[in-house]
Amino acid sequence: MKSGWVLLAVVILLAALAGLAVGQVDIGPAMLWHGALTGEGPGALTLRLIRAPRVVTGLGAGAALGMAGAICQMLFRNPLAAPDVMGFTAGAGLAVVAAIALGLGLPLPPVAAAGGLATAGLVAALSWSPRHDTPPLTLILVGLGIGFTAGALGSFAMTRLPQAEAAEAQRWLTGSLAARDWGQAAQVWGISAVLGLVAAVQMRALAVLELGEAMAAGLGLRAGRARWALVATAVLLAATGVAVAGPLPFVALMAGPLGARVTGARSPLAQMLAAGATGAAIVVLADLAARAALPGIQLPAGVTTGLLGAPYLLWLLARGMARGAL
Amino acid sequence: MTLALAGRPPDPSTAPHALRAERLSLGYPGREVISGLDLALPLGRVSAILGPNGCGKSTLLKAMARLIRPQAGRVTLAGRDIHRHDTRQLAREVAILPQAPLAPEGITVADLVRRGRTPWRGALTPWRAEDAAACAAALDAVGLGDLAARPLGELSGGQRQRAWLALVLAQATPHLLLDEPTTFLDLAHQIDLLELLRQRNRQTGTTVISVLHDLNLAARYADHLVLLGPRGLVAEGAPEAVITPDTLQLAFGLAAQVIPDPVSGTPMVVPCGPARKTARNATIETTIEKATQTATKTEPET
Repeated sequence: MKSGWVLLAVVILLAALAGLAVGQVDIGPAMLWHGALTGEGPGALTLRLIRAPRVVTGLGAGAALGMAGAICQMLFRNPLAAPDVMGFTAGAGLAVVAAIALGLGLPLPPVAAAGGLATAGLVAALSWSPRHDTPPLTLILVGLGIGFTAGALGSFAMTRLPQAEAAEAQRWLTGSLAARDWGQAAQVWGISAVLGLVAAVQMRALAVLELGEAMAAGLGLRAGRARWALVATAVLLAATGVAVAGPLPFVALMAGPLGARVTGARSPLAQMLAAGATGAAIVVLADLAARAALPGIQLPAGVTTGLLGAPYLLWLLARGMARGAL
Repeated sequence: MTLALAGRPPDPSTAPHALRAERLSLGYPGREVISGLDLALPLGRVSAILGPNGCGKSTLLKAMARLIRPQAGRVTLAGRDIHRHDTRQLAREVAILPQAPLAPEGITVADLVRRGRTPWRGALTPWRAEDAAACAAALDAVGLGDLAARPLGELSGGQRQRAWLALVLAQATPHLLLDEPTTFLDLAHQIDLLELLRQRNRQTGTTVISVLHDLNLAARYADHLVLLGPRGLVAEGAPEAVITPDTLQLAFGLAAQVIPDPVSGTPMVVPCGPARKTARNATIETTIEKATQTATKTEPET
């Protein structure tokens, strides 16, 4: 469905424009246009320093989370198997809070990546059984528990922080796009682009893994190795998003199925790209809603994605139970 | 006229052996389903592996396709341990259709078959004319050329199994392994599939090795049979030599007469009497034996 892709592009474009225009001070399209062209007036300042980096960062973080989610969901053949449900993003967020609390002063992407990878390793280790392959549902449930633990540890670490830093640390627990600059925008786009390419190269392996482990091995794939490479890439992508926007809940969970539904994407590569585009749209729209919903109050974007995602998660669970899959 | 004997090569047992099990033991430590098996599967023939449930025939096939690692011994292809072959290179030599492959939601027949070209393409190799040709040929061979654009889920059971077969045919390997390919098919579709496999063998010389349940169909469509029993290999060779009242008694604990199939002239099993006397008794005996052993082991040291 080509029209689905066009629709997705239009939604992203409109969401980005609205994201530039709406806020504490609304800027009309004419003023935005004027500001963009001349570089002068209130439009130009807002555009350059506040809203544009925020929107561009949101697009990048959403795309990274969306792609990460789609990879995990396809790999584990389960719509619940997203990095946010499985605790990977919470783990990445916790690592960042911990690094801030300890005053390590490290660059955040590698810290978030280490946290995400450590969480994934922990989930795999805790659900490992010598007798049989781990069913995806076990991984999901163990991950869910680890995720909550990471969130709780993060909240605890936050209470040990001074007031100013605690406000900043809140971002890594709920997810927010407040006060982003061009450096963060460039960071999330740059790293996501590289990881997106790494993931794209692995999509052929994923297409074979989808046929089951035995078939994949028969087709000459080192199934175990390919599986680990895909999980690692997905975790790194998710951590890249977390490093600039915090663990925006449910974006990775929703982007894949929604993107596939809208675009009709079937092949793993198309599904991953659709999920990236959908994730970008979700984050920018969620941030917009968070800013515009209550006059005078600026909610973090993570609150809106949480409000959107929780009913979706419940629906997935209800459907899974009705089908006897849970 | 005898259907199966028409065009059957003179004597499969003298053909050079390609896939070979050497003192092969499979299973888990302490619970070997196959131990010390020596077996040679003739090149360019249709072979069938037969035996009662739980005798390890599927396990044997998986080991032949390098899906599992042997406890001891080895499987060789052209004289070399298959675990020493390069993974992708081996996938160009040996294809396997597992018992229950998974179909991604909404996948079309054409897309499924395309994935069979994986061992011939690198991660970045573009789709080439030879890949397209192999897929088209595979779809034609199974008679699904017209349904290529259809989602797999919309096909009937028989058509679906042929689509999976097309995938492994597109892999274009000289060896084709199939794990109970007829299990979920009705009799007409079973014959349809086995006929197709034999055609493939006669036309391209592909070595076909399948695990089968139906002794009569196996005897009719295979040149070479491997009969496993609860205690390992019972017989191996041409159907006439392998399917006899004695071997059936040994493998299945089944009292049966063997008469010539009125259509193909191959051996046909006619069970007579209550089945599974010996085999069941043997199983019960081992179960009791094991239970006693476990009980002795877990007894508290007081």
